[in-house]
Amino acid sequence: MPDMTEKISYTEAFEELQHIITEIEQGEISVDELSLKVKRAAELIKICKNKLHTTEEDVTRILSELEANEPEEDENDI
Amino acid sequence: MTDERTAYTLQQVTESIRKTLSARYTSSFWVKAEMNKLNHYPHSGHCYPELVEKKDGKVVAQLRANLWKADYERIDAVFRSQLNEALRDGIHIFFLARIQFDSVHGLSLRILDIDPTYTLGELEREKRETIERLKKEQFFHQNKHLKLPLLPQRIAVISVETSKGYADFMKVIRQNPWGYAFFTMLFPALLQGDKATDSILQQLERISRVQQHFDVVALIRGGGGDVGLSCYNNYPLARRLACFPLPVLTGIGHSTNETVAEMVAYHNAITPTELGDFLLQHFHNVAIPVKEAGKCLAVTPFRIIRTARQELVSTSRNVQGIIRHHLQRQHGGLQLTTQHFSHTVNLFLYGQGASLHQHLHRLKIHAISSTRYQHEEVQRMKGILMQQGPSCLRRHTEQLAYYENSARLLDPANVIKRGYSITYCQGKLVRTLSDVRPEARLETRVSDGIIISKIQKNA
Repeated sequence: MPDMTEKISYTEAFEELQHIITEIEQGEISVDELSLKVKRAAELIKICKNKLHTTEEDVTRILSELEANEPEEDENDI
Repeated sequence: MTDERTAYTLQQVTESIRKTLSARYTSSFWVKAEMNKLNHYPHSGHCYPELVEKKDGKVVAQLRANLWKADYERIDAVFRSQLNEALRDGIHIFFLARIQFDSVHGLSLRILDIDPTYTLGELEREKRETIERLKKEQFFHQNKHLKLPLLPQRIAVISVETSKGYADFMKVIRQNPWGYAFFTMLFPALLQGDKATDSILQQLERISRVQQHFDVVALIRGGGGDVGLSCYNNYPLARRLACFPLPVLTGIGHSTNETVAEMVAYHNAITPTELGDFLLQHFHNVAIPVKEAGKCLAVTPFRIIRTARQELVSTSRNVQGIIRHHLQRQHGGLQLTTQHFSHTVNLFLYGQGASLHQHLHRLKIHAISSTRYQHEEVQRMKGILMQQGPSCLRRHTEQLAYYENSARLLDPANVIKRGYSITYCQGKLVRTLSDVRPEARLETRVSDGIIISKIQKNA
């Protein structure tokens, strides 16, 4: 599944998708490109939906990052 | 030397001061001061405020005060109802006081009453000054000019875990029926009263250290009534919010005038629930086009292909028509050309036929005259041959007989018969002395056999 490994921000995916859909709707696309574009759009929809419904942040990781540079706890902190 | 100095006891001194002061300050009077610290002791209920007067940031006067439990409770209630603000540290007060002197506790002012309208004016002034200063320093609109991510999904929440506002907010975003996923992390802070400023500033500092993990900051309060919100007009806090690197969303939830913090925030949603809705709306704004894109993808490509197919069919029809027309035209042209060609060929052939006939005629005449000449030449040759043939034959026969005789006389067999011999040494013909060697075996052929001999060295 290519969309799972692809590192693309929501904004990028969304904008690319909007662009392809506009092209398709306005008939600016040739039949040659159509199959590729439709495939790409389907991937982007999957990416967008995935991003809408999941998050990757982790409280524990952020907390450990916070503790790592907590000035009160480390007086030698630069 | 006798000691003539009069010695007073400390109590006599303090008593003297007390008497003097009470004689001088017979009645109460109104004083303006900044209440630096309220020093409220919840156990006794009494307060021991620290009063100061500052000029250009420096303390030019300072005095302790007493605010007894009953007075405190009465005044605090008036403040809460009229100012939406409790009696707290750091407010300017206009108060009715009386000088007090106690032998043990020293000089102090006893606060009898505080005029809320003065403090209100001071709070308003503080708010106004904060706004003016932020505008002058061009920080006021800074947060509003940030770009809110398309999907404000990761939220640093400054709130109180047990507050109703926080619960309302979490419910809205967690239980959304569209299944939108949010990541929230709580940065707990006091959200009202005089300690709120420092507490919120401290959490903002923590968030800024991990800001790459967040899209927005949500400042959420609610359920605590409208009291103690003047901290949101505080200059350092408002400035930090305005200059914060992430968009700040506020849902402080109150019915009073908008605070400076809310004014400078990227978006003020009034209540925590509305703040949740605001975020959901942003998700809708991008989720709906994605959904529409899916619908479009299910229909439009097929339409495009259908249209292309129709175009192909009609083009193919057009092409057939064009070809047929072209062929017809070509066919007509070809017939014309064929006729023309046939005519031209006939003309040409006719011309060539006539010419050929002429050539044939000429050839015929030439052939007859040539044949006649050749015949005459043969006859002439025949005459010569008949005349000279027999004498020539006789001459050749005589010459041949002579050659035959010569050949017979020169035959080696006949030569040997006449007494000559041929000698070989080891198979080679001996012509001179150099052809033989001493001790060699010689074969000498004579007319009727071979003589074998050996060469001896001559002494």
